[in-house]
Amino acid sequence: MSSEKSPGKFQKNTSGKRLSGIIANDYLTLHRRASEGAFVVWIAIIVPAELFNGFENVVYAVPESHAALCAGKGAGRILCEKAEGFGYSTDLCSYARIDIGTAFDGGKDSPTFGLPRPNLLVSNNNNCSLLVKWFDVYHRAWNVPHLVLDIPFCYEDQKESDFRYIMDQFGTLIRTIEEMSGQKFDIEKARESVKLSSEALKEWKRFLSFAAHRPSGITAFDSFVQMAPILTSRGSRQLLDHYRMLADETEEQVKSGIFPVPGEKYRLLWDNIAPWHQLRKMSGRLADLGANITSASYTYCIGALEGRYDPYMFDGGDPLVWLARLQNFSVCPHGLNLRGKAMKEVIAKNAIDGVIFASNRSCKVYSLMQMDQMRHIREELGIPCIMIDVDHADVRKYSEETAFTRLEALLEMIESRRAQ
Amino acid sequence: MKGFPACLEDLKAQGHTLVGCFPLYPPLELLHSFGLTPVVLWGMREDITSLTLSDRHLQPYACGVARCLSELVISRGYELLDALFMYNACDTLRNLPEILQAALIRDGRELPLFRMHIPAVPLERPYAASYLKDRIRLLVRELEAFTGKPFSQERFLKSVGLYSRRRRLCGELEKAAAEGRFNFADCAGIILAGSRMPVEDHIAALESSIQSAGGRDGGGERPGVMLSGILPPPMILLETLEHFGLRVAANDIAALKRSYAYQPAETGDPETYYEDFYRNHYPCTTILPSADRRVDTIRRMVRERDVKGFIFIGEKFCEYEYFEIPEMEKMLRKEGVQVLQLEMSMDDILNLDAYRTRIEAFSEMLCQGRQCKEA
Repeated sequence: MSSEKSPGKFQKNTSGKRLSGIIANDYLTLHRRASEGAFVVWIAIIVPAELFNGFENVVYAVPESHAALCAGKGAGRILCEKAEGFGYSTDLCSYARIDIGTAFDGGKDSPTFGLPRPNLLVSNNNNCSLLVKWFDVYHRAWNVPHLVLDIPFCYEDQKESDFRYIMDQFGTLIRTIEEMSGQKFDIEKARESVKLSSEALKEWKRFLSFAAHRPSGITAFDSFVQMAPILTSRGSRQLLDHYRMLADETEEQVKSGIFPVPGEKYRLLWDNIAPWHQLRKMSGRLADLGANITSASYTYCIGALEGRYDPYMFDGGDPLVWLARLQNFSVCPHGLNLRGKAMKEVIAKNAIDGVIFASNRSCKVYSLMQMDQMRHIREELGIPCIMIDVDHADVRKYSEETAFTRLEALLEMIESRRAQ
Repeated sequence: MKGFPACLEDLKAQGHTLVGCFPLYPPLELLHSFGLTPVVLWGMREDITSLTLSDRHLQPYACGVARCLSELVISRGYELLDALFMYNACDTLRNLPEILQAALIRDGRELPLFRMHIPAVPLERPYAASYLKDRIRLLVRELEAFTGKPFSQERFLKSVGLYSRRRRLCGELEKAAAEGRFNFADCAGIILAGSRMPVEDHIAALESSIQSAGGRDGGGERPGVMLSGILPPPMILLETLEHFGLRVAANDIAALKRSYAYQPAETGDPETYYEDFYRNHYPCTTILPSADRRVDTIRRMVRERDVKGFIFIGEKFCEYEYFEIPEMEKMLRKEGVQVLQLEMSMDDILNLDAYRTRIEAFSEMLCQGRQCKEA
């Protein structure tokens, strides 16, 4: 946060500029190390990347994160169209289409020139099980081994039997990399990496905690953008330092009375993946209406156990245990009740006036319980809620005016509730 | 054929204790061995005409399978079913247990629900096999509590024998249709009916159909096509295929071939039985570890059955199926097989003429100008 930020507009601040450097450096380093012979793993976002830091020369790339970056930089549409040209249905997840469009066209039109060709694919099925099918496409096209982490869906707290099953699979993952790369896994290095991640996540939560301030010290759009290095730099000193500075800077801004939406009248919560192609437009237009999406289930879940908000801290013991227990840190692997529990906690903590359920046809696992969730939140808490149609990365499936008609209606509902 | 709800009404009236299962490959034998009648809530597109209640809970980009089964459970589940059983498959279905339960509770109703996680990693890994066996053990205990009956190896073995017989008969009937000795639309209808009737009755229906197939005229010279998808197309389109001179020589339909193609070795031990069942299951997009076997399996079938055309019946929004289509199509074209892609959504059931036209054009292409329409 800095005073460079014009009130109400989503603009790059000091932390934002530092973030751009980190992301650019992460991708450059990835390409460089891959070209120098590092063992390259492509992973789904919840795959425990800290494990790779337990090896001497293993690098990882995250296709989902790369797809979000492409969408944010305006390349989503052209890359989706390429995948459709290769025969992939427009009904498939837009992240997958962007990634397939990039991968099968040699990285052209990607702001990072795509990702270096993998030696191993590691997906998991708890964030969404279609990731397995998506990675299978490369597995067969390039004859690259594909390891699936099968993480049972959480309708309640993680069960002991599921935890043990996950631990066994981590063992398979480590042995597979050892055999394929010829490198030896060093648990001390992994422990150090996990320690850094855990500390970084604590700082992440400190950053998010400024959403409780009135007016809010952050917008959810800040958190959408700032979550990127959790995916590209996990388990690094760089990540910890960045989040510590981010939280410090935000605190300083709040103390100085500088807020992203100074005339904040409406405090909103966003439920779904970020609308990557709309960050600037949506944040600016909402700010003009005095509305701030201060919180998002997509980002507040990070670092917490299922159904909770507070970070789950590493106790210095077995790093694999911490990673296995935290295998459900995204919202998607949680059932309706767990999601609702965390959402209610955030609504109370951050004094939310209304909830936007972004119905995202590219992410069924996130979206296909929102109608019930919306009903529960509305009835149990009496908070106005709306549902808008969004696709997280394919701008062709989003109508700004239709969305804003509903968003404006939400603000009217909030006003009307206040008047009662 | 009676609609799904009407079949369930009849079964209830006959005193059956019905367990509504989804998705397609639940442990039917185990449920049956406890004296329960499992019905598979799949493929009700032609029976569920209104989605009013389902639409209150699911967005329209959920597949027709999920929307129909939700409609049935929410509207009449409490009176037609005694329990639900589900295992993990796709992203849509995994959200359903809580949605359905919430909808029922909202109406002041409840339905016991059994859930099971089937490993999505190869069962060749000992810990995965052991995890599955634990789940089976747990399910046995839950069923004992639900029915008040202890598990019996003898009864389980008897149930295994019945389902084994049923799978074998389904294969025989399909073969008769592939050879042109039986109408494929009828064959599919009879096999699909098994999802809504007791296995004993289904065996009788299959036996009677197979007997009637013997005397039919061949017609094996008609161009053979293979159908693939989660569900077959509506019956009227299956009839259209045959009307335009095509013969369904093989199928890779999840509700048909993929459901009956593999029969595990018969044993009274459910843990061993289901490890075999899921490990060696006929390849299906929904059984993730089987995916690598799928292309080879289909290629082999295309060659063995002399398939000239391949028809994908895409269930709109079924991502599992759609991810595999481009690769499959590439392989088929290399084999010299013509490919037609059809996509079915809930609304399309009301407008089938466009599909008929496409099937006719496909048939003309395969027949290459020869007269291949049925007399």
